[in-house]
Amino acid sequence: MADRRPVRRRFRLQPFHLLVYLALSLGAIIAMVPFFWMLLTALKTYGEHATRVQWPKALTAIPYTNLPEDVETVVSLRPVDPGEWGGAPSSAQPLLEGRVWIEQVTAPVTDQLARGEITPPLEVLILAADTNPEVEGYDIFYYTVGGGRSIQQGTVRAKWGMGWKAPYYIEAPDMERWGPQLIVEDNDPDHFVVRQTWRPLVILTFNFIKAWHDASFANYMWNSTRLVLITLAGVLTVSILAAYAFARMDFPGKNLVFMVFLATLMLPEVVLLIPNYQLAIVIERFLRSVFQVENLWIKNWTVLTIPFFASTFSIFLLRQFFAQIPSDLYDAALIDGCGHLRFLIQVVLPLSKAPLMSVIVFNGIWTWNAFLWPLLVAGDQWLPITVGLSRFTMEAAAQTHLMMAGATITIIPILILYFFTQKQFTEGIATTGLKG
Amino acid sequence: MSDAVLAEIPPPQAKKEKPLSKRRRREASQAYLFLAPALVILFTFNILPIGYAFYISLHRWRAVRGSFIGLENYLQLLGSPLNAVFVVAGIGALIAAYYLWRTALEQLDRRRAALRLAVAVLLIVGGLTLILGVDSMIRAAAEERRTQEYLLSILLTVFYSAGTVPFQLIFSFLLANMLFMNIRGKSFFRMIFFLPYITPTVATAAVWRAVAFEPRRGLINNLLMSLGVAQGNLPQWTFEAKGIVVLLGQWLGVDLPSWVLNSPLLSGPSLAMIAVCIYNIWVFTGYNTVIFLAGLGSISREYYDAAKIDGAGRWQAMRHITLPLVSPTTYFITLMGIIGTFKAINHIYIMTQTVGLGGPQDTTTTAAIFIFKQFREGNRWGVASAASFLLLGIILLLTWVQNRVAEGRVHYG
Repeated sequence: MADRRPVRRRFRLQPFHLLVYLALSLGAIIAMVPFFWMLLTALKTYGEHATRVQWPKALTAIPYTNLPEDVETVVSLRPVDPGEWGGAPSSAQPLLEGRVWIEQVTAPVTDQLARGEITPPLEVLILAADTNPEVEGYDIFYYTVGGGRSIQQGTVRAKWGMGWKAPYYIEAPDMERWGPQLIVEDNDPDHFVVRQTWRPLVILTFNFIKAWHDASFANYMWNSTRLVLITLAGVLTVSILAAYAFARMDFPGKNLVFMVFLATLMLPEVVLLIPNYQLAIVIERFLRSVFQVENLWIKNWTVLTIPFFASTFSIFLLRQFFAQIPSDLYDAALIDGCGHLRFLIQVVLPLSKAPLMSVIVFNGIWTWNAFLWPLLVAGDQWLPITVGLSRFTMEAAAQTHLMMAGATITIIPILILYFFTQKQFTEGIATTGLKG
Repeated sequence: MSDAVLAEIPPPQAKKEKPLSKRRRREASQAYLFLAPALVILFTFNILPIGYAFYISLHRWRAVRGSFIGLENYLQLLGSPLNAVFVVAGIGALIAAYYLWRTALEQLDRRRAALRLAVAVLLIVGGLTLILGVDSMIRAAAEERRTQEYLLSILLTVFYSAGTVPFQLIFSFLLANMLFMNIRGKSFFRMIFFLPYITPTVATAAVWRAVAFEPRRGLINNLLMSLGVAQGNLPQWTFEAKGIVVLLGQWLGVDLPSWVLNSPLLSGPSLAMIAVCIYNIWVFTGYNTVIFLAGLGSISREYYDAAKIDGAGRWQAMRHITLPLVSPTTYFITLMGIIGTFKAINHIYIMTQTVGLGGPQDTTTTAAIFIFKQFREGNRWGVASAASFLLLGIILLLTWVQNRVAEGRVHYG
């Protein structure tokens, strides 16, 4: 695209080129460093980030070597008074308490524990509660580590039903991550079997899983995906029709309408923000009075997608392409008794795969990245990932490692899309040069 | 149509026209049918709101409509009406001077001299009126806080433009030229450079704020420390409200006079604003590079070949062929960049999340952020609408001015 000559000159490395490569690499490094640092921070523990450890231990061999073998313990249970465990859940069956000993830990935890002046073997106190009578056995487990004074949020997982909560925090902060996973295998009223197992994968994915749960990223991602799909369907329908009308049909006022379309490209979003917000309220009120149902517009997908169906950028991009299709084709089709709509669907669209792909990719990215409008009007039901992330970065303010994990989660779908379609991107931008 | 009328019209034409116009009418109605969804949505959400914004701006409007107050919101933003008149008159005189200059160039000698004199007078008068107006606005601003905020936000936006657009241009032009050379790995570099632009602003701005600009553990300050540039007095980046001139003065140990310290113009943009600028440059350089690449691609090879035959070196080819012929792209990028800084909200929102929107101490409250703050935090919809209308005016004016300037300098071709 950049180089138009059909025959390429043979590449010869000159000293000047080394300089060019140096400069280009510097640019590439600057472009990539924030992403790299984001990923690095996302793999750190809170302690590592706080103490300015530059390279996370999760990316060294230490946590993965000399992992202890799995240990199975039969834990006998005794009923306890809920008052002994602050904030224990109300249970259908009596609350049960049991003790497990963790004999071995991995290297990073040994360091951490040494700092916290706790040494293995660690006593783990497990509380089992049955909050859901429909699920057989005990379904919530709390646990505290280390003689009752150091306390940990649970990675105890029950075989049936799964729950973990954080009643207290531990002094050895990374136990949860580096230490053994406790899995409850046999779930009886008088005993259960706890297996201690070491999972290297948890060490790498821990922050991501935690961020994923803390901020309900699953919801956000699902919302954003749905919004993207709806917007794409709308944008494609609306802009294909409009682009075709501009490219291949003759009608009075064509230039005027086209100028109006063009002019809307100039409008800054912030100018339209207030009236559109007020308009959304008016539309909501109107729909409520007609259909007697609330939130048909505000806090629904409608307000987040429909206003963006008329994408002027897409209309121009497609018009440009449609106009290049030779009119002989249409004349021939006309003789065969083919109308505009059929011609559009059967001839024009199959020929326009490349620009349609550009439209899909661009609008997909814009919808995924949209922030300001959803921030104002999106309800919890349809909160997109960008707004979700901005809330999470607020809540996780001090926990930078989790924040970065959240940012990574938000970026990854876009990166995947980008790597597969990057040609459409750069060429779409280059040919239209629109949208800043 | 009766036969008598038909007889008066030349028959062949009539025969031809009738079915054609019928077909055309059908096509026109079909075209509007095709356009209908786009038109309805565009009208409802892009065109109607402009009028609505104006309507809101004429009212005292706090979530619900209050009383009609005419242009009071605008006057609140701009200070006293007299100042606004001064500024508008000043701008008008400058525009008039520009037109006179244009006509002067086309005139004969004697009239040209007279016209040039008129131009000079207009320029002086217009400039003086403008300066007087702006000056009294700023002085009035000291008394009225809201006025100050708006005018200040315009000034900050100017800082923001000046701190981003030139750097974007230089970096992306260099990168594009390097990528345009006959080298390997072109598309790889292009892909990497473009990455910051397509990733969600919310995520990347959070990354920059939390791991790059963070004062104690951030990447940049770590780097500064290990390079030995700063030790105890680490720059506070997004938390720093002091202007860079003031900070530089402190760093060099120079005592600055109080009129520099207290002037928002002379003390320069705050370090927080610089941080926002750096982020902006990081995001848009790659995007502009791609546009520049397209611009370079459209320059005919023949010019370079001809220059080579004439013995022109790389630098001369750059100076006399590339620069002038790529100027439409340069112009486009400049315009989009400046308008972009007037629209900027998202990344400033995220980058100042911890210190309060537009903070610290309002030093990153650009024009768009000002509107958003009035709207969301101040709940003054009327004022916010008036500000957004003024912003629209500024953007249109900028586009117009740049169009005029570009007319003489940009080589299309």
